[in-house]
Amino acid sequence: MRFLFRLVALAAVVALGFWGYRAVRARLSPRPAPPAVDTTLTGMRAATLYFADAGGDSLVGEVRELPEAESLHEHVAQLVDALARGPQHRGVALLPAGTAVLHAYLDDQGRLTLDLSRAFQQGFRGGTQAEDLVVGSLVRTVGANLPEVKHVLIVCGGTPIGSLGGHLPLDRPLDPHESD
Amino acid sequence: MKAAGGLTVLVAASLSLAAAPPPAGAPSAPVTRVAGVPSVGANDFARLLGGVMFWRADTRKLVIRAVGHRLTFTVDAPIVVLDEHTLRLDAPVRSVGGELQIPISILPQLPRDTTGAHLVLEADGARIRLVPAGGLVGPPVVTVPAGGVTRLALATAHAEDARVTGRGRGHFRLWVPGAAAGPPPGALPAGSLVRRIRGFESSEGVTYELELDPSVQSYRLSTPAHRDQLVLEFSRGAGSGEPFAPEGPAGPRALRVVVLDPGHGGDDPGVVEQGVSEKDLTLQLARLLASELERRAGARVVLTRTDDRSMAQEDRAELANRSRADIVLSLHFDAVPGTRAHGATAWCAPASFAGGDEATTGLPLLPWRDVALRHAVESRELADDVSSALDAMGQGPSRVHERLPVALLGVSAPGLALECATLTSPADLERVRSPEGLHDLAVAIANGLVEWARH
Repeated sequence: MRFLFRLVALAAVVALGFWGYRAVRARLSPRPAPPAVDTTLTGMRAATLYFADAGGDSLVGEVRELPEAESLHEHVAQLVDALARGPQHRGVALLPAGTAVLHAYLDDQGRLTLDLSRAFQQGFRGGTQAEDLVVGSLVRTVGANLPEVKHVLIVCGGTPIGSLGGHLPLDRPLDPHESD
Repeated sequence: MKAAGGLTVLVAASLSLAAAPPPAGAPSAPVTRVAGVPSVGANDFARLLGGVMFWRADTRKLVIRAVGHRLTFTVDAPIVVLDEHTLRLDAPVRSVGGELQIPISILPQLPRDTTGAHLVLEADGARIRLVPAGGLVGPPVVTVPAGGVTRLALATAHAEDARVTGRGRGHFRLWVPGAAAGPPPGALPAGSLVRRIRGFESSEGVTYELELDPSVQSYRLSTPAHRDQLVLEFSRGAGSGEPFAPEGPAGPRALRVVVLDPGHGGDDPGVVEQGVSEKDLTLQLARLLASELERRAGARVVLTRTDDRSMAQEDRAELANRSRADIVLSLHFDAVPGTRAHGATAWCAPASFAGGDEATTGLPLLPWRDVALRHAVESRELADDVSSALDAMGQGPSRVHERLPVALLGVSAPGLALECATLTSPADLERVRSPEGLHDLAVAIANGLVEWARH
């Protein structure tokens, strides 16, 4: 009986020791790290954005890092989104609130049809100069970052528009290099 | 934003630059001595900074909010709180006649705003003025070296940003960023191809308008040797210089019928700013301008609308064409929200088109929509004349853009879309909403039209 008691006690000590060993080992061994974000797949590229200058007289360029886009639509949408968010340095954002790219289509002649949300036209406020700056900032930004674009035709909600605010015609494609 | 070091007092920057008074229209304010301390009135100070003032009578503090900053002045204290920083002045702020007088020792301690514009004390210490980011621009110096060339040089720290904004011989325009340090010379050297120079305060800069000899064939803009100098050369030879805008034949022009097109109307109010509608202003201005032209030029004036109604562009153009207009003037008022834009802008058909298809092919291949391009040269000259007249009467700064506006689509006559002032500019709005201001604007435009007819 006495022997049996000693045997049970010994087994208990061994079990306790084994449990303690595993607990300490588990604590000391490194935990597997959470999977790292793979940044190698998402590159950045420099983009030149054009905003109105503070004097409201001309456009000023601002260089910014934007994520690499996988498609033309994504690229143009990024640029327009960055324009809508406004400048980080000097300049003034004039793009009407809610302006977004619905579609962007580039034909083999280098003509980009830029289909914008209706907010672009409905939210516009201003005269000829503002209209010129808004359209110029869009067209020049697209032209500066997409060299394959030779002309830009702006439409709204899938429908051609004669003008943004009734002052300057938009019924024809615009040359990015002729914008103010 | 750092609180110190941004603003520069250019007292001794250049005596030759600062010896002359500033051009009319340059934002400035007088400096007065309060107990021997050069000071500027708080009202002027806030105006120059484009700020808003709040007075706290209980603590005798004045708060000025401007360009994203908050300045707090306390009466009889030499301390100013700028945002979260403390500025120390050389004398206390005093109250004189109910207005606080701020020692000008505050000037070097102010931060530059986001545009880089800053306040400076003029050389004679009599005024402070707001200088745009371009700094000061020296007065033009005209010389006539050998070789039939006339050279115009001026000092500027931003020569590379200067640009030619008008390339007609009668109204050649050079825009330079900054503020004019002095007026242009009244007398020009013998044999100069530049006959006259006028300077106008312009958007963020100064515009020099030159009247050139008709024999001038080309011009060249350069920044030789020093980047802080700008040189403009005019030559009788074509050489490798830039050509001038095409011009119409000399002599008077007919001004029998003038069509005035008050922009917008009906359910299209145009720009609405502080209760002022563009459609109402354009109609009022058209009526004033009509009586001015009938009286001074004996012209028959036709208005495309005489009341508050909507009109399609096609109808406006048709009315102008049926009236056999000698000039079509579409009247508008501009707005560029969020900017400091001000002044007038004339939009006309691009003169570069002149002699295009028709000259090379012999066929006038032109869609009716673009028929105004046939009158591009005269339209450009009209734009220059009206623009000059506006500037001369303090209704500027004015700009000319060669881009066919909607208002001239289908219009077969020389014409302009004229944005007569910028309603988002408080100064412009205040000017044109008063009967006197609108009348002066009508007189200035009429001056330009009459000048165009004299040619």
